[in-house]
Amino acid sequence: MSVVPAQQGGGGGGTSGLYDVLELVLDRGLVIDAFIRVSLVGIEILKIDIRVVVASVDTYLRFAEACNRLDLETGAKKPSGLTDITGDMMEKGASGKTKGALSGAAETISGAFQQAREESAQSKPRARRTTTRRKEEQE
Amino acid sequence: MSTYVYGITRASHPALPEQMGGVGDPPQPVYAIKTGELTALVSESPENLRPKRRDLLAHQSVLSEAGAQGAVLPMRFGSVSTDDETVKNVLAEREKHYLERLDALEGKVEYNVKATHDEEAVLHQVLATDSELRTLNEANRAAGGGTYEQKLALGERVVAAVQQREKADGLLVRQALEGSAADTNPGPESTGWLANVSFLVERDKSADFVEAVDALQREAPHLVLQVNGPLPPYSFVE
Repeated sequence: MSVVPAQQGGGGGGTSGLYDVLELVLDRGLVIDAFIRVSLVGIEILKIDIRVVVASVDTYLRFAEACNRLDLETGAKKPSGLTDITGDMMEKGASGKTKGALSGAAETISGAFQQAREESAQSKPRARRTTTRRKEEQE
Repeated sequence: MSTYVYGITRASHPALPEQMGGVGDPPQPVYAIKTGELTALVSESPENLRPKRRDLLAHQSVLSEAGAQGAVLPMRFGSVSTDDETVKNVLAEREKHYLERLDALEGKVEYNVKATHDEEAVLHQVLATDSELRTLNEANRAAGGGTYEQKLALGERVVAAVQQREKADGLLVRQALEGSAADTNPGPESTGWLANVSFLVERDKSADFVEAVDALQREAPHLVLQVNGPLPPYSFVE
């Protein structure tokens, strides 16, 4: 699990993970008819990233191959195998940074975007990782 | 000159730091328009405002800063009024409604939770719980991967099983966490997560909510959970 804390001091907003909440900024929030809304045409950072499994021949073949490669030895000992996965994630996350102080907000934001850009630069769709910034402390 | 609107607070809301910059390059100074019991947080809107990174971040930063000081109704990005006078009129017209929303959201923040499957883990699960799939898989494996048709047959069934699990796990995420939240709203659906749900959480109970997510992660280690928060209550303003 990755928790992206926003700000220390119980702030009301998540500056650190903007990339992941972009859809909320663009698609939720109060709309008032008397105001004009800026056109979202040409938006450069909206990611439409279908990660759920879609039924298609390509997917069938890919999953058949994935099952074929699956290490069923580990499968038989599922609990430990799964624990390993979680452990990995936590480790990855722990090396991630968590900046909460207001003064560090801008830096944190650019960090998040940097990470986001790196992620989208990876072309293998299933290899994408989530922004794994492990919750360190909700202080 | 048009007016960019970030959000609405009570008139008694503490002022933002003076150097708070908003949208535009250079960032336009954020100021408050007060009328009656409400305040709108605004700045001048740059010509040809576009949803650029910098401006989205500015929008979010202003709301984060304001939200840390008390309830705020966040506007959707890109709300522009023709002038300050129009903003005042809107606040005056709908004062009662906005005050009610501010009351309802006082002391509460939004947490957005997204979930996907860890592919390998979910395949393990699917094979572990379906002996026919295991048999098919073993047969293909023994045949060096199987023919095109055999792969398709196996793949199709595996995909169906995984999709079923996505559906069930989407429900699981929501049900496991809604008890720790004051309100729940589905997030925008376009991004294709098996779950994308926003929870309205009392700020004082944020730790409990995060603990509930942790518990869910322990219970369902095949899920990859991503939690963003605390956020301004974007999904709970209406």
